[in-house]
Amino acid sequence: MSAVKPHLDWAGLVDYWAGDLTSEDSAACEEHVFGCQACSELSARVAAVTETLRTLVPLVLTPELLAQLRARGLSIADNPMQPGERREVLFPARADILLNRLCGLSLERATRVDFVMRAESTGAVLVAEDDVPFDRAHGSVLIACQKHFAVLPPDTVAEVRVRDADGGDTLTTYTILHRF
Amino acid sequence: MLTGCNARSYVARPCYGLGAVEDASDAELVLLAAEAGPQRVAAEAVLCRRFAPRIELYGMKHLRDRERARDLTQAVLVAVLQAVRAGRVDDPERLDRFVLGTCRNTVSRMRQHAARVPLASDEAIAALPVAAHETVPLLAFSNCLSKLESRASRILVMSFVEERSADEIAALLDTKPGNVRVIRHRALAAVRQCLDAAGSSRP
Repeated sequence: MSAVKPHLDWAGLVDYWAGDLTSEDSAACEEHVFGCQACSELSARVAAVTETLRTLVPLVLTPELLAQLRARGLSIADNPMQPGERREVLFPARADILLNRLCGLSLERATRVDFVMRAESTGAVLVAEDDVPFDRAHGSVLIACQKHFAVLPPDTVAEVRVRDADGGDTLTTYTILHRF
Repeated sequence: MLTGCNARSYVARPCYGLGAVEDASDAELVLLAAEAGPQRVAAEAVLCRRFAPRIELYGMKHLRDRERARDLTQAVLVAVLQAVRAGRVDDPERLDRFVLGTCRNTVSRMRQHAARVPLASDEAIAALPVAAHETVPLLAFSNCLSKLESRASRILVMSFVEERSADEIAALLDTKPGNVRVIRHRALAAVRQCLDAAGSSRP
């Protein structure tokens, strides 16, 4: 009879890093990882993703997550933009996030909101996210511009497509010329 | 590869060529490091290389801070090597359990002293290897995340940014916790593959 324990799998290690194991299962997982080079390496590959996720702020925020980030002490510079507006915006040196608050949207009956960000000069799509969260009460979509976005083209057009319960489909644009 | 042994300190066990020390078992390394012989330094270095990444992972999980995880790694390695030299590892075959126990005790102490505390001398710390960890480029990471379906992306954010359990997420999304777990591990695997394809540096 073999005394070799079976290796941990990806799904189990994801549950471990998500904190979704019982304390007994979590301890057993750690005991195995400490004695197994292969599982230690696999655990490191899972952790590289999960722990980066923890430090990453999503591009589109919910109002609740925005409140959490403020509570964590992040410095957030607010930049409200109106439909069709085009202007330059400075990413403050001390800010962690530049919050591009895309306002003036009719979201009372919205069923789905899609977001695309393009480079104004080339039309290239920089980011495209479907079915993003939105702030129905305030008619806005909250875009968290972050320092590592500085490598992207600074001239950006944010496109917000709102679909509503009546079959309506509205596209609203905001042109944000970032300076880092 | 084992070599012939003529040193009196190794009468009870084999001698190792330099390359073979790397392949020695944990118990063999403990025995080599416990003696003030010529292979102590090499054996200690292999032990550090072998366990540093595991200790740092443990630190990341329980301390949620890379700097503190590095502090933990250094403190635990110093404590383990001191124990090995002093012959205080009762069961060298289960050195992994000894290291894990030292991790648990040290994390407990670090939590009691919320601030970072110097747990080892500067000289001891300077002599230890730095654990290799993967650095993930944030922009590549964001790009990989944006390729996920919105529900999968939302579940990852709820799990790792909002720190919600699978049960909580399931209740909010009107699904079953098992479904949340499946979507979560598949989505993470997709991000992992995307990062690998994008050439993220690996340890």
